[in-house]
Amino acid sequence: MSAVNVVTRELERLESLWEDGLSDAYRSYLEAVGHFEIDDQPRLALAAALIEVGLRLQGLGGRAAAAPTLLMGDLCLARSSRLLADAAPQAVQVAFARAIEEMSSAAASERSAPLTRDLLLRAFEAR
Amino acid sequence: MVGRRFRFESRHPTEFVDITDRLREEVQRAGLRTGRVHLQSLHTTLGLAINENEPLLLRDFESLLERLAPVGAGYQHDDFTRRFDIAVDEPENGHAHCRQLLLTGFATLLVEDGELVLGRWQSVFAVELDGPRQRQLAIQLDGDFSPPRSLGRSAPPAKRAQPGGDLVELELSRQLLVDPEPVAAPMRRLVEAGGKRLRPTLVQLTAGVGPRTEPLRAAALAAAVELLHNATLIHDDYVDESTHRRGQPTVAAAEGPERAVAVGDYYFAKATRLIAEIGNRSVTSTIAEALEAICTSQIDDVALRGAFPGDHNSYLRVVRGKTAALFAAACASGALLSEASPEIVDTLRRYGDLVGVAFQMADDMVDFSPSSGKPVGLDIRQRVLSLPLIYAAEDREVGPEVRRLLAGALGDAEVGRVAELVTSSGALERVKGEAQALVDAAVRELETIELDGLRPILISLARSAVDRTA
Repeated sequence: MSAVNVVTRELERLESLWEDGLSDAYRSYLEAVGHFEIDDQPRLALAAALIEVGLRLQGLGGRAAAAPTLLMGDLCLARSSRLLADAAPQAVQVAFARAIEEMSSAAASERSAPLTRDLLLRAFEAR
Repeated sequence: MVGRRFRFESRHPTEFVDITDRLREEVQRAGLRTGRVHLQSLHTTLGLAINENEPLLLRDFESLLERLAPVGAGYQHDDFTRRFDIAVDEPENGHAHCRQLLLTGFATLLVEDGELVLGRWQSVFAVELDGPRQRQLAIQLDGDFSPPRSLGRSAPPAKRAQPGGDLVELELSRQLLVDPEPVAAPMRRLVEAGGKRLRPTLVQLTAGVGPRTEPLRAAALAAAVELLHNATLIHDDYVDESTHRRGQPTVAAAEGPERAVAVGDYYFAKATRLIAEIGNRSVTSTIAEALEAICTSQIDDVALRGAFPGDHNSYLRVVRGKTAALFAAACASGALLSEASPEIVDTLRRYGDLVGVAFQMADDMVDFSPSSGKPVGLDIRQRVLSLPLIYAAEDREVGPEVRRLLAGALGDAEVGRVAELVTSSGALERVKGEAQALVDAAVRELETIELDGLRPILISLARSAVDRTA
């Protein structure tokens, strides 16, 4: 299946986010997944982009989003989790989860967290 | 033997006070494992009864007592000119004494394996016949006792029902111990407040069906599923603007929405990590798919509040995702972990789905039960999707008034009236029947596969999921 088809299928109910920063994030992460199987690359890049956009939508570390937006953010994280389960090696799945733990723990403690994109790019290197 | 006095205050002239949970607490507190609980009314106008706690049935009983011994029907006991040593506040209550004669003043209940032995629909009532008053029951417990358990941190019934449940509690405690306090403290409060632990119990049970049985991995998966469930609840409570859960303030209410978002995210991530670390890709995918279904249904649930109370099809679609998906995934993932055959995995997944939907229906009914310990009508007030409301709104007789009330502002009076209409419409009986049919279907699923002695436990768990008095 082509990358376009994969992304189109996986955006169900999240289509509106594509033009709202998701496509830019996806393209950035796509450059970082070249060392994975070619079929897995779009799903992995999309997983990372969904986490980045999802956390932003929720307002993690800032002002909490209104209920409908929070739920959209939740769906981004859940979709990402499923994409990683389908396509990522175990070490990468664990590294992504740890990245979210680090960001949410920092938010709960009201201290600044590392940049989301830096953490997720590093997670792709996990072995 | 242990003896106690159980005191309570009735609020109405005639009232069925459900004391089942109090008795369970007494058994637990005393550490009675096998034996009997003896109850005795210390009043001549207070009876005891064991029957079903169904509001309309209780009204029937009240009507029956009124027909058999009507108030003011010329009782000689009420003729104070013919009696001696009458107290100044002696009430005219001949009817209440006569009614008590029709009931019983004492009862003995059996206890096995630390639990009261009661049928699925049985509840124990102290029956006030001349209230409101301060009342006392004498209680004696005798039999074989083990060291008493602490009530506050005792394991919930579903977990106690099967061996290895303590491993899950230990794993939950261990995981919360290593987390940063700003996230661990709110989650610890939620976990220690109880909950039924149905999902981790399903994981543990089904993790024993295949050829590969590893209790520690099963406990790790079960604890992760419970953490994931609680993470979703923390976000749900913020979305629903709920102030309390399991008798404790919600994270959003106590610590603010920002903390609720962070704690929910932390445990979502931690749970998915713990599951990934187990290293079974099928298990990871199964749980991830369930989580996606939960989130999608949450969005649908909120969207449907614009068309409150919705319809049966929408209800089923939302409940299948919001509640049943994790039940089904819990069953399937446990079986997958044990390397059970695909046929067993699929059957258990269907069992979990049916039990999950039935569980949600039973949960909807709790909103209309005055004895549930929760305020009646909370779902109505929060405009939460609820099958009894859907059925009442469709009812030819009460439907128009229900729909009119739900379309407007919902103050105490409106919520109370809607609850009355739902109760009187027969909607609760309809939902109860539907939930029961789903449980029966779940039980039938189990008949098609070999479960190595697990079937009776899964049947019992399915039945207990809809018996919210158990």
